[in-house]
Amino acid sequence: MSTTTESTNGKHAMGVSMKRKEDPRFIRGGGKYLDDFTLPGMVWLSLVHSPYPHAKIVKIDKTPALAVPGVLAVLTGEDLAAHNLAWIPTFHGYDKQMVLAVGKVLYQYQEVAGVIATSREAAQDGAEMVDVEYEPLDPVVSPFDSREDKIILRDDRENKTNHIYHWEVGKQDETNAALAASEVSIKERIVFQRCHPAPLEPCGILADMSPATGRLTLYLTSQAPHAHRTVVSLVTGIPEDKIRVISPDLGGGFGNKVPVYPGYVVAAAASVVIGVPVKWVETRTENLTCTGFARDYHMDVEIGATKEGRVTALKVSTVADHGAFDAAADPTKYPAGLFGIVTGSYDFPTAFTQLDAYFTNKAPGGVAYRCSFRVTEASFAIERGMELLARKLNMDPSEFRLKNFVKKEQFPYPSPLGFVYDSGDYHMTLRKALDIVGYDDLRKEQAEKRKRGELMGIGISTFTEAVGAGPSKHFDIMGIKMFDSAEIRVHPTGSAILRAGTKSQGQGHETTWAQIAAEELGLDPQNIMVEEGDTDTAPYGLGTYASRSTPVAGGAIALAARKIREKARKIAAHLLEAPLDDVEWENYKFQVRGQPENALTMQQIAFAAYTNPAPDSEPGLEATFYYDPPNLTFPYGAYIAVVDVDRETGAVSVRRFLAIDDCGTVINPMVVEGQIHGGLTEGFAIAFMQEIKYDEQGNNLNTNFTDYLVPTSLESPKWETSSTCTPSPHHPIGAKGVGESPNVGSPAAFVNAVMDALAPLGVTHIDMPLTREKIWQACRQSTTA
Amino acid sequence: MNLEYSGTETIPAGKDTVWAFITNPANIASCMPDVLESTVVDPRTFDAVVQVGVGPVRGKFKFHVVLDPQPSGDRMNMKISGGGFGSVVDLNAGADIKSDAPNSTTLDWTGQASMRGPVATVGGRVIDAQAKRVISTTFANVKAKLSPAAATT
Repeated sequence: MSTTTESTNGKHAMGVSMKRKEDPRFIRGGGKYLDDFTLPGMVWLSLVHSPYPHAKIVKIDKTPALAVPGVLAVLTGEDLAAHNLAWIPTFHGYDKQMVLAVGKVLYQYQEVAGVIATSREAAQDGAEMVDVEYEPLDPVVSPFDSREDKIILRDDRENKTNHIYHWEVGKQDETNAALAASEVSIKERIVFQRCHPAPLEPCGILADMSPATGRLTLYLTSQAPHAHRTVVSLVTGIPEDKIRVISPDLGGGFGNKVPVYPGYVVAAAASVVIGVPVKWVETRTENLTCTGFARDYHMDVEIGATKEGRVTALKVSTVADHGAFDAAADPTKYPAGLFGIVTGSYDFPTAFTQLDAYFTNKAPGGVAYRCSFRVTEASFAIERGMELLARKLNMDPSEFRLKNFVKKEQFPYPSPLGFVYDSGDYHMTLRKALDIVGYDDLRKEQAEKRKRGELMGIGISTFTEAVGAGPSKHFDIMGIKMFDSAEIRVHPTGSAILRAGTKSQGQGHETTWAQIAAEELGLDPQNIMVEEGDTDTAPYGLGTYASRSTPVAGGAIALAARKIREKARKIAAHLLEAPLDDVEWENYKFQVRGQPENALTMQQIAFAAYTNPAPDSEPGLEATFYYDPPNLTFPYGAYIAVVDVDRETGAVSVRRFLAIDDCGTVINPMVVEGQIHGGLTEGFAIAFMQEIKYDEQGNNLNTNFTDYLVPTSLESPKWETSSTCTPSPHHPIGAKGVGESPNVGSPAAFVNAVMDALAPLGVTHIDMPLTREKIWQACRQSTTA
Repeated sequence: MNLEYSGTETIPAGKDTVWAFITNPANIASCMPDVLESTVVDPRTFDAVVQVGVGPVRGKFKFHVVLDPQPSGDRMNMKISGGGFGSVVDLNAGADIKSDAPNSTTLDWTGQASMRGPVATVGGRVIDAQAKRVISTTFANVKAKLSPAAATT
């Protein structure tokens, strides 16, 4: 565990395990979440959901619901259509989705009607009484059935096909030829199952249209308040200055709170129409069944190599299940996100990847669940593929990786699929991991156990991410460039307020943003108040997801602080009566070159900025910076899992898990460690217990936390963490971002470890989640064979 | 979720008595457990409000029941559809009716249930236990109402 301090006193604010400034508020129950807000005259919205995955809506009878005491109104899709709100654009703008179903429903639990009532209970009772008559249609549950086009799901679209898009990158002919010529190769269908971010706080909104001011205030569980304000303005036609989005404390997001959901639109529309505040807060089941799922990629991975173990080519062909609408949360020009990172940490001479996406009768989504736009799927595919090939080559998986890593002298490294990796030393990081776990001794122990018939496995994952979307020349969402922003105002007494376009959901921005600014300005981070989430006060930014906050907003904060420092230098020159060129920033103070005894602190400069500004200089000390990063950043890591498998029960015991992360410059080691612990726990859950599963009739079988398991500390392994540091050369402070690394890198380490344990039984691959039943069945079949 | 059940029940009454009983919707409604209220719509149809408690799915479900006695007089089909709280249940059942003895009639029956919504996620074993309870209670009630003792009271 890292050591912690309360304050850095303005010196070396970066790299210090300062305790999180926000935590006293949360520990004492002082956090204020969406459901804590209550406004005078507030009414409630409850939604009616379809039990059918595919059905025509014959009739909706509102009468029984309107008879429920307290029910004020029942809204349907046809009511919204009258206000041109029946459909809204999806995340990247390539598709549209129904707000409340019109004509037919396309997935189970789809929103069909909304009931407005004077209390939460009355709204729920009313929703139960809305009588919807359906005519069931045959559902299409599998994307492989969908691509047959026997049943066309979206008759609202011009193209009468379930195929949404084809995407590809790389050299197909060259890759096919190289694979054909490879001395050794593997090909495996690797599925990253549909799972769900499942934040403990579900989504919600409190919409408040004030007839007095004509302003619409939306208290919203939002990871991207400014983007949501813009979308609301575009959809409704309400001018953006008449909309205020306030995203309060969030109980987790993990990508789930990026999209716009029907409940938001219905509540806002209802408030606009009836002129009173309308609140909607999801149930757990609504969160798991309606809001953005993640993954659901079916990947055919082919890798070729020489018999000496040098990789020659990579090809990945993917079928993606997008559900009923193409609502995947990816940048507009990247329909498959950053899946092109699938070559991972390895120096492939050539590569090709292609993806076809299909509609099915399942909930829409494809959000970046603690993931930089499909990087997790890509990392899992390459790390499983490399493991399979190492086994086929009869090579140790660590040796195979070390043989094929991109070398540190190759950076900046142009990958065959179009990225330019910024920095890294993959050999150093893996060797450090091998040393820490005592890899050679573990292999000896494994050999001894195998002699006794015991199943022990060691799994490695050496992933590389592409995060920090992103450079405006490539990245936008519906045309809005993916820059981010910071505004810093230093008060006369040397404290400051820092506002950013990001929005923390537990990442600790109130602490880490203050540390960046404090480091740049020589201030005490305890005296820098960080504010996010209010579009009336924060500068415009695209929000927090996809590990973009530190790579993008972190750069904006550093550069805004440097603008302030440059102005402060002029004030210092005035106060020190020295030429500007002779004033230098040394040890967090301004001094005349070589004269530390005449140094001025930033606090002194700040006071002068308001009381004795330099001649011909604007008073005050503040700056705003919009940072457009020149490139993505490429954090990476080496993870090693050690497991024991009980062949009689299928139980897996994760005996050790070591995560070494290289996220470049570290702002707060304790916060990084916390991020990694949380992400590893999520990765553990995905690997062993979580899946949003549908039966053949389209029933969602994981609608609550008894069916969709979230591990507690009792189930979670003990995590070991360490780090290496190769700063990003293009980032203002050298940081790369870390929030998603553990979720990206760990599933492959777990699965590789279990497959390594089962190797003596001839088992090569089992799709996640690795439940006891699946493992027991594999052991049993092996014994039977 | 699809579930299938089948079985054989012997009723201590003659075939004509049994046939007359099970083709009357009011009789069927009176034998089903947990029925809070029932309304006979026509000689072959009734609506029922049933108290349901399957795992976390608890509350009143509304069902529409259609009896379809075959003209041969030895087969009875029945279709039940309904639901509540976002769940939908469809049941198609049928029974072949044979006379074993003057006061003994056998029903060879099958049923296929289809469930959607929250009730489909409860889990096969929980639903299975509930379904078996409903079936056994219904037949027990039919037997009780048609037993010689009942007939004499």
